[in-house]
Amino acid sequence: MTADRLPVRPADGPPRHRPKVRYLLLHAYGRGGTIRTVMNQTNSLVAAGWEVELVSAIRRRDDLQFPLDERVRVSTVVDLRDDAYVRPIGLIERWQEWRKGRLLAEPPRAVPPGEFGYRHFNRYVEQQLARYLRTLRDGVLVTTRPALNLLAAEHAAGGVIRVAQEHMNHGTHKRDVQERIRESYPSFDAVAVLTERDREEYARLLPGTRVVRIPNAVHSLDQVPSDHRSKIAVAAGRLFPQKGFDILIPAWAKLVETYPDWQLRIYGSGEKKAQLRELVDKHHLYNHVFLMGHTDRLDDELAKASFYVLSSRFEGLPMVMIEAMSHALPVVGFDCPTGPSDVLTHGVDGLLVPPEDPDALAEAMGKLMGDRALRADMGMAAVMTAASYGPDAVHPRWEALFTELHRLHRLDRLPEGRGARGDATAGRQAHAAAEGPLA
Amino acid sequence: MKSHAEVAEVWPRDGLVRLVGHIYGRPVRDEDEWRLLLVLRCGEQRLHYQVALEENRFESELPITDLRKADPASVEEWDLHLTEGTAELRVGRHLDDIRGKKRIMVYPEQRLADFSVRPYFTVNDNLSLECRTEVAS
Repeated sequence: MTADRLPVRPADGPPRHRPKVRYLLLHAYGRGGTIRTVMNQTNSLVAAGWEVELVSAIRRRDDLQFPLDERVRVSTVVDLRDDAYVRPIGLIERWQEWRKGRLLAEPPRAVPPGEFGYRHFNRYVEQQLARYLRTLRDGVLVTTRPALNLLAAEHAAGGVIRVAQEHMNHGTHKRDVQERIRESYPSFDAVAVLTERDREEYARLLPGTRVVRIPNAVHSLDQVPSDHRSKIAVAAGRLFPQKGFDILIPAWAKLVETYPDWQLRIYGSGEKKAQLRELVDKHHLYNHVFLMGHTDRLDDELAKASFYVLSSRFEGLPMVMIEAMSHALPVVGFDCPTGPSDVLTHGVDGLLVPPEDPDALAEAMGKLMGDRALRADMGMAAVMTAASYGPDAVHPRWEALFTELHRLHRLDRLPEGRGARGDATAGRQAHAAAEGPLA
Repeated sequence: MKSHAEVAEVWPRDGLVRLVGHIYGRPVRDEDEWRLLLVLRCGEQRLHYQVALEENRFESELPITDLRKADPASVEEWDLHLTEGTAELRVGRHLDDIRGKKRIMVYPEQRLADFSVRPYFTVNDNLSLECRTEVAS
C-alpha cells in the first residue's frame, strides 16, 4: 500500500458524525466511465467537508486521467508500473520476489472468470487486496465492481461499513458472477445500483439487504445547448460490440437517400475500429458516417449536433447519453437493459425503439432528421430530464446514505438491548426512514 | 481563406473516383471551361478530365485505370486540382469543423489485380490519390 498523493487538509477537520469514506477502484488511473463517475463523487464529497480517500487496486499509469480535487487522498495497493520494480537485495527479498512472480502468474481464486475485469486479477493482486481490506476498521468502504465487491465481502470484515456499487445491470453479468453476487452481497450494509429496474432485481435476489438506487451524475449541467440546426447526429462509446455501432451503421445506410446531407459522427476508440470501418465501406457510407476517434472535447462536439443516438445492446446507466441531453439533444435509442427507459420518456425527450432492431432505429432517426421543431421540443424536455442527474441532485443522496449507515452502525454498537439489533422495531423504523429520500 | 475546390463527396466505386463539391472564393464565369487536373507529385505527368459545372457546384470523375503506368513505382501520389487554364485550385475540404481528416474521412481502396488506388486527405486536408503497384521482386 503506497500513498500516491497526500491530501490537502481542510482547515477544520471533518465533523465527528461523518465517517471517512474510502472508494476502492480497480484502476483509478484509467479512463472508463466508472472511474470518471467515482471521481465526481469524491470531488463532491470532499467539497462538502468529508474526508475521502481514493484507493486504486492496481496502478499502470503515472497520472490520473480525470480532474480530482486536491483534498482527495490517493493510494495504490499494487503498483504495476515498470519503474515501481525494486531490485531485491539479500536472500529473503529474492525469495519474496520469486514468490511474487509466481503469484502474479497464477490465476485468481476469488474472482470468477466471468467477471469482465478478470484479466486484471491474479493471486498476487487478490492477496494484496485481501491484506489491505483486512486492515480497515472504521469509516465507509465503497467498492465499485463485482470483483472488488466480492473481495470486500470476504475480507473487509473488521468493522468498516461496506457499500457495494454496481455500475452494470445485473442481467449482464455472467452466471458465475451472478451466483457469487447472491452469496456474498448480503454481507454489505448497502448495495447501490443505478436504475429502478436493477434495484427491483437486486431487492428480489437479496432479501433483507438494503438496496438503493442512486444514479450516476453528469459532471456538469452548465452546458451549451444545441440549436438543432446542424445536420449532425452523434453517438459515442468504446468501439466494441456492447455499443451496437455495428447495428447503427447499417441503419444509417437506410436513410442516406432521403437525408443525403446528414452526417453521423461516432466518437470513441476501441478494438472493433477496423471492422466498423469495413462496415462503413461495405454500405458506401464513407461520405456520411465518420469514426471520429477519441476526443477530449466531447462537450463541444455534442453542442454542435442535432440529436444523439444510443445503439447499445446493454448498458448500466448510459452517462454520455445524459450528457448529450444536458446539451438539449433529443435521443434516439434502443430500449435495452438497463438505463434508457429509466431516463427517457418515449415521445417526450427522445424516441425508444425495440433493442437491436435497425429498421426501427432508422425510422426513429428519420423522424428527427425531418423535423427540426420536434428536435427542439424534445431537446428542451431532455434538458429538464438531465437536471435530475446533475451533481447537486445526486451527490446529497450519497451523503444521506453514508450518514444513515454510520448512524445505524453506531446504534448497532451500543450495549445489548439499546441498539438497533436489540430493538427490532427501532431498527426497522430507522431503515424505513432511510428509504425515504433514497429510494 | 484563399480560393480552393471544396469537396463534399468522394466516391471510389465501380472503377471510378467521382468527386462532388463547389468552387470556393472565386467567381465562376460562363466563358471558363473548368477541368479536373491530376498532378503526379514526383514526376512531370498531368492528366485532365471534364467537369460538369452548375453555378459553382462541380462534379467530375476519372477511371482509375488511367493512373496505371507502363513503368510503375511501387507507390505514387497524384494531387487533385480544378483548373480553367490559368488558375489551379487545389481540391480539399476546409469549410467544416472536422480537424484531422486524414484519420477520420477515410476512403476505401479499389483494386485491379496488382494495382490499387485510394483517395485520401493529406495532413492539410487536401485530397490526393495514392496508387500502389505490387512490384514483382
